[in-house]
Amino acid sequence: MPKVTVNGTEIEVDKGTTILRAAAEAGFEVPHFCYHPALSIPANCRMCLVEVEGAWKLQPACYSQVTDGMVINTKSERVVKAQKAVLEFILVNHPVDCPICDQAGECKLQDYYVAYDSQESRLRAEKVHKVKVFPIGPEVLYDGERCILCTRCVRFCEEITATNELTIVQRGDRAEIRAFPGRELDNKYSVCTADICPVGALTARDFRFKCRVWLLNSTDSVCTGCSNGCNIHLEHFRNEIQRYRPRFNPAVNDYWMCDAGRLTYKEVHTDRLLHPTNNGAELNWHAVCETVADKLKRAIDEVGSDKIALVLSPQASCEDLHLARKFASDVIKTSRFYMGGKRDGDSDDFLIKADKNPNRRGIEAVFGSTTAALPFSQLVDDIEAGTVQVVYMMDQYMPVDAATAARFVERLDKLKLFVFQAQHQGALAQKAHIALPVCSHAESEGTFVNFEGIAQGFERAFAAHGESLPHWQIFMRLAQAMGKPFSYTFIQQIRKEMFAPRPDSVASGTAEGVPVE
Amino acid sequence: MEERFLSRNFDIPNAHTLAVFEKHGGYQALKRAVTMDGDSIINEVKKSNLRGRGGAGFPCGIKWSFLPKESDVPKYLVINADEGEPGTFKDRYLMELDPHRHIEGCIIAAWALGIRYGYIFVRGEMQHAIRRLEAAVKEAYAKGYLGKNILGKGFDFDLYVHPGGGAYICGEETGLIEGLEGKSGQPRMKPPFPAVVGLFQAPTIVNNVETISAIPFIIEHGGEWFAAMGVEKNGGPKLYGVSGPIKRPGVYEARSGITVRELLEEYGGGMLDGHELKAFIPGGSSCAVLTPDKLDAVMGFETMREAGSSLGTGCVTFMDTNTCMVRVAARLAAFYHHESCGQCTPCREGTGWATKVLDAIEAGRGRPEDLDLLLDMCSNIEGNTICALGDSIAIPVRSYIQVFRSEFDAHIKQGCCPYPAWTKKRLRSSVAA
Repeated sequence: MPKVTVNGTEIEVDKGTTILRAAAEAGFEVPHFCYHPALSIPANCRMCLVEVEGAWKLQPACYSQVTDGMVINTKSERVVKAQKAVLEFILVNHPVDCPICDQAGECKLQDYYVAYDSQESRLRAEKVHKVKVFPIGPEVLYDGERCILCTRCVRFCEEITATNELTIVQRGDRAEIRAFPGRELDNKYSVCTADICPVGALTARDFRFKCRVWLLNSTDSVCTGCSNGCNIHLEHFRNEIQRYRPRFNPAVNDYWMCDAGRLTYKEVHTDRLLHPTNNGAELNWHAVCETVADKLKRAIDEVGSDKIALVLSPQASCEDLHLARKFASDVIKTSRFYMGGKRDGDSDDFLIKADKNPNRRGIEAVFGSTTAALPFSQLVDDIEAGTVQVVYMMDQYMPVDAATAARFVERLDKLKLFVFQAQHQGALAQKAHIALPVCSHAESEGTFVNFEGIAQGFERAFAAHGESLPHWQIFMRLAQAMGKPFSYTFIQQIRKEMFAPRPDSVASGTAEGVPVE
Repeated sequence: MEERFLSRNFDIPNAHTLAVFEKHGGYQALKRAVTMDGDSIINEVKKSNLRGRGGAGFPCGIKWSFLPKESDVPKYLVINADEGEPGTFKDRYLMELDPHRHIEGCIIAAWALGIRYGYIFVRGEMQHAIRRLEAAVKEAYAKGYLGKNILGKGFDFDLYVHPGGGAYICGEETGLIEGLEGKSGQPRMKPPFPAVVGLFQAPTIVNNVETISAIPFIIEHGGEWFAAMGVEKNGGPKLYGVSGPIKRPGVYEARSGITVRELLEEYGGGMLDGHELKAFIPGGSSCAVLTPDKLDAVMGFETMREAGSSLGTGCVTFMDTNTCMVRVAARLAAFYHHESCGQCTPCREGTGWATKVLDAIEAGRGRPEDLDLLLDMCSNIEGNTICALGDSIAIPVRSYIQVFRSEFDAHIKQGCCPYPAWTKKRLRSSVAA
């Protein structure tokens, strides 16, 4: 293993390590624009030039590999001058429109200017003008003047999505990023280009002018768009999600996430159920729990526990499902479960999975079997046949085609009792005898198990909308109202217990993700 | 005048055709080369002190020995015929007037190095050269010098003429390779060098037209003979170009080691009557400018470096006392600005900025601090870029300011260009050739 000296600190690194990585290991930041750990290395921004003893030219730290005995200086006078020079060159034709730029606050150029340059412009001539607000794709806009031509976006489309939409047209300081003729940046991961853009050249249409980034609070969370469970920064301002941004996790999504998943945050703020209702009349939680308890007890007596069905939601967290299971077995004493959740959708061989539910494997983990729940379509038949007379449904999703779903909504009239415990309003909420508002993953904490069996925790970002509560808290209140109180105060207590059959698989959310199996 | 080799066929009518070429001893070197093995050919080339004729002057034999002997993928020979350096026009003569000599050199190189495919990457604007080369390649195929089983030796070599898109940067060997692969001409990071990872990721030898055209003579007469034709470390005869307000501008062959004065006076016929020499660039616009006191410098890579410039392509541009040096610097900067590929920051932004500042000075809008700004800019570009194009603007611009600072000061002080307008028109045609 080569031994290198970085700014006087001697360290040992693996063979083939770049100077930039070796310096990072020694604790020194080398500024860079074009280098991205997931992409190839073009060494074109020249920001990472460092001095290597014995080499008469400054070396690009991102590209040059260390050799044994190499003496590297990342802070020498020459390096500092080169860094200032490169920043000055980049800023020669940069519009410096930070006040109206969405990137301001998370812009590498801004940060590096403050850290490495901070000198006045020496340019007296007119800057080069290029396209502004150019719709390079349906989700992404391009500003040619802000662009520093680092080609991260071009390389992303070549190397990550392999869709090859982007290229550089023209040359010299007239060069710009463009899609090839007749094409646009419309791959399923296009907004990632805005994420990796070190400046404000590529901006996500959805986030433009929405919120200054320094006002955002960020919470570690997991995307609920599909069963892949991409790790995200859930970024919110005043109890409202402003955007999702992928959070690095090499075991799951690397640095990326899909455009569709990115927009799923909108569900959190539309058509929410905000108050518990009994036949349309708003009640407080205490009263509604008494009512549900009363009705359920009566139903148990009249039709028997066996005819009470619980529709499980793969959209709910493991903690929610654990208490659903406990509520069914200890309180209602039924084992009649049906599988709810969203229908399958499109998929690809990268991140997007057909299963649009984040926690189907969580149901398997909690219930210890893959066949714990019957298919939803059978519920329709069972209601018809009278074998199910009470339905307790988690979430509004029905994994069936529209005709079957309509039939299900129709059949609800035959039920003695329909308790609907979900986030959103809709036909089911209107039909429900009792509707209980549930909060979204942004308003609660919990665990999802992704399609590979990796359990990932997500954190609570902000206060619940309206009077909504997490599923597990509703089950606790109901159990108490029915005289069988559960003894949990914190979600951690559920976590300790929930994967009891497989103690080795208890997991909590970490940046790396902990594989369950 | 001495005996001519490289330019020996220039005056023979129809020497570009195979019949005439063969009549004058063409393809004899190839026939001799195929009786030698690769290593002994490489040895002869090493002994010949043949330096790359594209401008960098890398010893050809050493470059050839970097090519791996064994390779799982086909090796390539790429001829850099993208002659685009302002003031340089020697390769063009070789391609137009003696294309078969060049093709013969390509075949010998391929034989010596075990190369299967060759490409001649010709600058797109040189339509005549492209036509001549294509016709010559066709003739060579018909005669069995190219294609399968050449001269019955079981040796296959295919040669293609590839017209470039007309970008100066494709004269940089890795930019050229990118262009040949169908991409935009953006030079690659080195290492790896093309001899290891080149065209289509395969080992590739990139040589200048003149370098390869000299190979048949080395085979014919031997490496030592070739070395003796030059001076120490600079072997062989070489083509020199002379241009500017001189009596006989053109391409001339002379031995390596000739002085600039000899070139100007013996070959170029001296300055035009009534014109006095003010400055000259030894080998293309990217070399530093020199003043007449350096006229006795020898045209060699080391000697020119000692004189404060570089040999480059060996095509000298002379400038007379009517030439505004600010205007020259501004014109050169504009050229490099136009031709910068835009890949790496210092060159992309620096060339444009330098052009703007120089244009302002030439137009009389300069400020005294602009000269220091330009010098600082030059040192900020030089050495910090991926390829040498950045250096190509930094070196000359710096030299014009340092050597002719008084002219820059005069522009700034007077608020206008002190040279009469008529001097500019001619300058445009001579410098931007």
